[in-house]
Amino acid sequence: MESRVLKPILAVYVVAFLLFLYGPFFVLTILSFQQGPDGGPQFPITEWSLYWYKQIFGLTPPSRIAPLPVGEALIRSLVLAFMTMVTSTVLGVMSAQAFRRKFTGSSVVFYLIVLGMMVPGVLTGLGTSLLANNVLGIERHWYTTAFATHVAYTYPFAFLVMLAILNRFDGSVEEASWSLGVTPWTTFRKVTFPLIFPGVLSAMLFAFTLSLDEFPRSLFAAGGSGDQTLPLAIYGTFAVEIHPNIFAFGVLTTLFSFALLSVYGILMGLSVRRARKLAMQEDIA
Amino acid sequence: MGAGCKNLRSTVTGRMTTGAAIFRIDGVSKSYGGVKALDSVTLEAGVNEYVSLLGPSGSGKTTLLRVIAGFEVPDVGRVVFQGRDITGLPAHERGIGFVFQNFALFPHLTVKKNVAFGMMNGGVAVPAAEIDQRCQAMIDMVGLSGLEDRGVEQISGGQRQRVALARTLVMQPKLVLLDEPLGALDANLRGRMRNELRAIRERMGVTFLHVTGSETEALAMGDRIVVLDRGRIIQAGTPDDVYSAPSSPAVAHFLNRFNLFDGTLTAGKFTGPFGTVASPHAVRAPQDVYAIRYDRVNVLPLTATVSGPALKATYIASEYLGSSVMNFFETSDGKVVEVEHHLSLGAPEIYVARQDYLLTWNPEQAIVFGREAT
Repeated sequence: MESRVLKPILAVYVVAFLLFLYGPFFVLTILSFQQGPDGGPQFPITEWSLYWYKQIFGLTPPSRIAPLPVGEALIRSLVLAFMTMVTSTVLGVMSAQAFRRKFTGSSVVFYLIVLGMMVPGVLTGLGTSLLANNVLGIERHWYTTAFATHVAYTYPFAFLVMLAILNRFDGSVEEASWSLGVTPWTTFRKVTFPLIFPGVLSAMLFAFTLSLDEFPRSLFAAGGSGDQTLPLAIYGTFAVEIHPNIFAFGVLTTLFSFALLSVYGILMGLSVRRARKLAMQEDIA
Repeated sequence: MGAGCKNLRSTVTGRMTTGAAIFRIDGVSKSYGGVKALDSVTLEAGVNEYVSLLGPSGSGKTTLLRVIAGFEVPDVGRVVFQGRDITGLPAHERGIGFVFQNFALFPHLTVKKNVAFGMMNGGVAVPAAEIDQRCQAMIDMVGLSGLEDRGVEQISGGQRQRVALARTLVMQPKLVLLDEPLGALDANLRGRMRNELRAIRERMGVTFLHVTGSETEALAMGDRIVVLDRGRIIQAGTPDDVYSAPSSPAVAHFLNRFNLFDGTLTAGKFTGPFGTVASPHAVRAPQDVYAIRYDRVNVLPLTATVSGPALKATYIASEYLGSSVMNFFETSDGKVVEVEHHLSLGAPEIYVARQDYLLTWNPEQAIVFGREAT
């Protein structure tokens, strides 16, 4: 009875959801196989080709369309995302660890940390560059000011992930370790960290992906043209004219992300399976 | 019976009587947000002594263990271990073993690595060969040979319990704290583990402090039983002392072996639902309570005439307990009275349901608590 009404509605909802989620990417993927260099970013496909993919890697003869200026920007963005990931995850794990015990002012500190993901990105970027330029006298670079804004932004995510993980963490294994004469630091390395590692992995993934495609915070904080991150460089090419080479690049980065996610999924799946087996054993016992 | 009660002290501490003390806690108090979990507790344990800490949940027994282990810092009081004040010492520098109720094994390590963990990562460097040898000896001792390379999630509850024990004992601590370690096991395994704990203790010479919520376990295991209630030690003594002469209505209630009746004690006479009975040897307590053991109550037909206490009650049901039968009676004001009949004394009487009987007992065998007692 109910399902006769509900099911079609749900079906429509799911189709719409999938359309909005994957539709743009689907269109983008098709257009990336447009013929080049004369084919534009629109239908119909005049001829299927891999021209734009080759163009990204500089495998096509020179033409009036400049190659995407992504080489250095990509490296910069990857290095920046990596630096941000390491810093934010370390900070996130450490501060979440601190929050396992109540301390005076803990709620104030909590909101101060979380503020980093609440404040509008453009404001943070602008504010940081003004602060660096006019007050501190620090030169703006992707590895100085932009790095700072990226950490301020991704650290709360890593912190919240670790907070959720440590919330469910049973501290008695740590106490057991102490009672065996093992120092708190060694206990953290040998017991706590291996057990919270799936969470650490999530925090790392969050920080990395958020930093990699961060635009508003980099806009002002990243400095001059020699400091452009990937999102800034791509945005720069939009300003003139759009060619399917951007779509081809989008497809490649998406595939890269999927590869990363798959690795994460496999690692996660393994540890979840272990946990489930543990729970099952406990039910039997 | 009354004579046994006379030499009980009014302020009870868990002081031990023989041997040198391996550890002592002195006037320890601990509160959580205004609630007193421990209220000036003083307790000593001798070398190689097995002390059972008995108490209802919320009595502070686990908190007491955690203070001794160093997981909690007491608000006031001192903890002394092997002649050294360790009140402020962190847990990993104490050398006191702790076996958790949920075992708290390291889920990412094998059985062998769990047992070796303390020696591998502890402050004292142990040569690899010795680690191997001590590990193997301990694993053999607790009967886990052949399971060394299993993950701890791949073994049964009883085996995990033994890993927890082996992991602690392999460090050769002089004091081991057991926090209801048998609670998670079924009755059969529990009995076997009790025997194993006794054997281990005889072989290794360790002082055990065993927290339990089960009165049978406490009576079975302890050289000495310490009863806790609301953060205070309310009685300490040998199992026989505590069992046959509970020092207060709370202890009697917790032992789960006594019918307790409210009433009034005046001029050496206790007046309760069963009439007025002379009670010359009452024990001082904050309220007037009359206690008679389940297996000391006699059941007579309603028409019988008795000289002592007489309580009219309706038979409800009985439970077969293997070695005895427990009969349940209900008094006119709805109180359930339990009467235990040991089968070694002969076949049980057959009572008729919903029929009234007369319950009586020898007043000499009752324990009477009262405010006016001396």
